[in-house]
Amino acid sequence: MRGTLYDGTTAFPHAVTVSATGDELNLTTDDAHRLVAPLAALIRTDEGNRVRLGRSDLPGWRLLLDEPLDPGLAARLPRPGRYGGWIDRFGLGKAAAACAVAAAAVVAVGYTAPHWLAPHIPIGWERNLGDSIVGDFGDNRCRSPYGQRALETLAERIEPGVTRGPDRIQFAALDINMLNAAAIPGNHIIVFKRMISGAQNSDELAGVLAHEIAHVRRRHVTEALLRELGIGALIRLFAGGIGANAQQVASLSYTRANEAQADADAIAALERAGIDPRPTARLFARLAKETGEGRGYSVQWLQSHPASGGRAKRFAASYDPHRAYRFALSRTELVRLYAVCTWQYGKVPRGGGGRKAPVTPEPAPRR
Amino acid sequence: MDSMRHDEGMNGRAIRFTGNWREYLPIAATNVLLVIVTLGVYRFWASARERRYLWSRTHVIDDTLEWTGTGREMFFGFLMVMAVLLPFFLFIQVVFPALVARGKEGAAAGLFTLFYLAVFVLIGFARFRALRYRLSRTFWHGIRGGSDDSGWTYAAEYLGRSLAAFATMFIMFPWAQTSLWNLRWNKMSLGPLPFRADLTTDGLKRRWALLYIAPLAIVVGGGVLAAIVGFSLRSSADANGVTLTVIFLGLFSLVYLAIPLATLHWYAKYYRQAAAATHLGELDFGFDATTGDWLKLFLGNIALAVVTLGFGISFWGYRNWSFIVRHAHLYGHIDLAGLTQSTTRAPRESEGFADAFDLGAI
Repeated sequence: MRGTLYDGTTAFPHAVTVSATGDELNLTTDDAHRLVAPLAALIRTDEGNRVRLGRSDLPGWRLLLDEPLDPGLAARLPRPGRYGGWIDRFGLGKAAAACAVAAAAVVAVGYTAPHWLAPHIPIGWERNLGDSIVGDFGDNRCRSPYGQRALETLAERIEPGVTRGPDRIQFAALDINMLNAAAIPGNHIIVFKRMISGAQNSDELAGVLAHEIAHVRRRHVTEALLRELGIGALIRLFAGGIGANAQQVASLSYTRANEAQADADAIAALERAGIDPRPTARLFARLAKETGEGRGYSVQWLQSHPASGGRAKRFAASYDPHRAYRFALSRTELVRLYAVCTWQYGKVPRGGGGRKAPVTPEPAPRR
Repeated sequence: MDSMRHDEGMNGRAIRFTGNWREYLPIAATNVLLVIVTLGVYRFWASARERRYLWSRTHVIDDTLEWTGTGREMFFGFLMVMAVLLPFFLFIQVVFPALVARGKEGAAAGLFTLFYLAVFVLIGFARFRALRYRLSRTFWHGIRGGSDDSGWTYAAEYLGRSLAAFATMFIMFPWAQTSLWNLRWNKMSLGPLPFRADLTTDGLKRRWALLYIAPLAIVVGGGVLAAIVGFSLRSSADANGVTLTVIFLGLFSLVYLAIPLATLHWYAKYYRQAAAATHLGELDFGFDATTGDWLKLFLGNIALAVVTLGFGISFWGYRNWSFIVRHAHLYGHIDLAGLTQSTTRAPRESEGFADAFDLGAI
């Protein structure tokens, strides 16, 4: 059959007669030059149009076959590539299905990676980041040593030993008018002023702290960091936490599963400490109502802690009427905690004096 | 037939596009499918397949072009470039905040400046390399193109001209663009034949001035219009609202229509003149797309994507390439026996750099 040959050396087209013998392709030009090409070296380079053969050993060598193709020869030609390498070998359907399964696995691993990776990241990696974030709040830290001690006492009630030892959590009250509390990388928990001053009793605060302590202990903070900042977070943490800014970290949000777990842990912690869970339930109910009324300041807390109504019920349900509950803090400690941000050097806050704190009498635990 | 002569009008067009969308549809559809199931990794193979089809349907004189680039080499090219660029970006990302945190603002600013200069150099480099790669994988009559230049000189020239354009509020932009066209094409070749480009800014300056005049005209026109409307509706209660609306619409059209349109208007002429100023041996090029043609192409692309809920994006490459080929012309004479194989080295990193910066090649 007939064809056109480009020899890869010049652009000149040679008209040739083509035939196949043995494992070779014989080409004869019109001026009787004979050429051979091993069939094994042939590749197909056409794309659904005129058959175009190349040679894997000679770039630019091209043989264009005229229509109609000699069926004997056509059977011996390689098949044209379509989708590329191994997809052509397996067939599109099988390859696409295999890829889809692999892709689903990759996505699943990527999606769950923060969860199972977080517990294995040394807390030391987070220290710099956490310290720098808390440091960023510098001037806004509430200075009262008495208030600070009360805050830590409250935390110790929830988890004895939490403020000591290598795994200690550092607590800080911040003089920022927000109704919020947050766990920060590197075992830090910050509580904003409004959360403290707006609390109706120490048990409410205990519930909030227990929830945040659970986030820290379960490594939810690291998990959220990994989930939201991706793999870059790991590198930054490893490099000493430089580069991530406080805003980003403060706006981390947890998954609903994490929140539910932190709530469950908090309920268990309150139970162990013998603290009445109902005030925490009332706090959540109050927050839910306030959002319902569209009150701006509670929105932040609620965005990261969704469905306050449901959690209020869960806390309330854990109340045991036969148990003797103890207040989370004594009255003196509570007053000191209330004054954590308004304290002036040299003054010891005393119960009933100095400050118009919204101290409502705590309800006596029922027997 | 040792040589071929081609003048348009004698026996049809020397460059023709022979593909059609029905033929391309299965390619586009399977590409989309495979890109999705491989989480994007297939895109290198997808673009190789797209080009194999588009090149095979581009008829030049008496034979089609042939694309020989592979998805595999583009994939590895991308990995190579990422291996070079990623540490560079990470280094900047870590060192820059560290310098700021330590109060070394001067050093940080210096680093910042260096970083941007480096990015510009790399963009120029990427653009040159992408063009070189595409020519080296384009065969016609078994002969390929290429370049022996590494592209670093071009990268430096790209930086210098970009800075000149910035420094002069883009007044020197036409000069920068035209001279860069010449600088990159003059280093390219097909077989033994070098491309020659001698594009000048003649006829391009006035259109560029339009870019400055058009917004001004709209502001003045809008102001006058607003004044007239405001004056005539002085008595009515919502005269202020109407005036504001008119001013707003004026600004809206200024930002969203006038500037892009004026830019497109300039580029339409730029590409016509650029093609006309480029030669290969005894072959001359031409390009005849008008501003309206380009506008139809872009609006068509957008409409196609919208109507097909995004699937149409897989046809953009097809539409853009066929647009270029349909508007391209080739005149003159080529000596086939003298068109010998290119001796340029075939680059290995393919389009990795251009890919990294999301650039085209031409």
